[in-house]
Amino acid sequence: MKLKVYSYRRSQPVRAVIIFCKVNGIEFEEVRVDIAKREHCTPEFSEINPLNQLPAIVDGEFKLFESHAILIYLACSYPGVADHWYPSDIFKRSKIHSVLDWHHSNLRRGPVTIVQNSVVAPVFHRTFNPERVAEGEKILSAALSKIESFWLEGNGPFLLGVNQPSIADLSLVCDIMQLELLDEADRNRLLGLLTIKSYKMIHRL
Amino acid sequence: MKLKVYADRMSQPSRAVIIFCKVNVIDYEEIKVLISKGQHLTSEFAEINPMKRLPAIVDGRFKLFESHAILIYLACAFPGVADHWYPADVAKRSRIHSVLDWHHSNLRRGADTYVSNATIAPVVGRPLNPQAAAEAETLLSSSLSKLESFWLKDAGRFLLGGNQPSIADLSLVCEIMELEVLDEKDRARFLGPHKKVQRWIENTRSATNPHFDEVHEVCRH
Repeated sequence: MKLKVYSYRRSQPVRAVIIFCKVNGIEFEEVRVDIAKREHCTPEFSEINPLNQLPAIVDGEFKLFESHAILIYLACSYPGVADHWYPSDIFKRSKIHSVLDWHHSNLRRGPVTIVQNSVVAPVFHRTFNPERVAEGEKILSAALSKIESFWLEGNGPFLLGVNQPSIADLSLVCDIMQLELLDEADRNRLLGLLTIKSYKMIHRL
Repeated sequence: MKLKVYADRMSQPSRAVIIFCKVNVIDYEEIKVLISKGQHLTSEFAEINPMKRLPAIVDGRFKLFESHAILIYLACAFPGVADHWYPADVAKRSRIHSVLDWHHSNLRRGADTYVSNATIAPVVGRPLNPQAAAEAETLLSSSLSKLESFWLKDAGRFLLGGNQPSIADLSLVCEIMELEVLDEKDRARFLGPHKKVQRWIENTRSATNPHFDEVHEVCRH
């Protein structure tokens, strides 16, 4: 039975999982769940994930949600996934856990807050909320500075100074790409916060 | 060179790491960094963790921060840590990752924001924010409901139906213990409806005592 990935491509963590599967030649069936039509709240999808969030996977009888947990599971379970995605070396692996954890409360919150309170607010039954957008921009700006000054320290083009991407690069860059949903002026203003190092990382990926 | 754990026992994730070390007899030196005195903002501590957050560890030349990453590192790096804390089985381990990830944006955010805004903010020099507290209260309530109805839905004594604790139990229960700084009425309002949550807190406490109680003494003052 093929791996099933429950997906909504406007969701950043969903994209990270889909890209990971495609890049690593993992055979899967993409099952689209349209959040705008509230398909994530149906009883059918609740069977897959009672917390009604995407992405979620079903691998045989095993169900899993939370994108970082999914990426780690796929890296460990599927043969042929190169070590650099989730190294077996405990020190390298711990640093990846560290940035993935930091991500939840830092970079991820920025673009999500901006986008959910502006362009996609109607999907979540919300109105445009400039205060929240401003908060999101502050969080994003602080997170991008930390990526620039700390996580991209070292010689390599990827997070933690390495030469090949890990699941952390994929996860964080997919979040930054969420800014593509904004209009061009806003996007350029916010992405202008990115400097040379971050652009190099995104484009290499 | 002994493991160094930089911690403030008022910080929930610091407590989880300290308790884990004590329960698993990991030899370590606790270096107290008091957030209320701004000690996490010094240039000395920035050498340890440029993000200026606690907990952080130094093991030989290896530095690490983010409590979940630390707990996983300790479970893997130190011999004698029983498998139930962070099972080698990929499926079990993945489920632990799943609840630890969920925790960041749910229980932790709800509990930490509510308690900070309702009480602790003045101690660290920030004003109280009733709007943030109200939103955090909603998130905290819904997180506790999800623990009751989903994460604790199976037969075992711990999260995900386990009969022995994992790092996820330790991390999440330490977070809930933060509610001890609230008054009794407030605490009962949050925890009262959730019998499984209350039993699970007790189970985690007994599985890690006397260390759990000793480390949580700070919450009772």
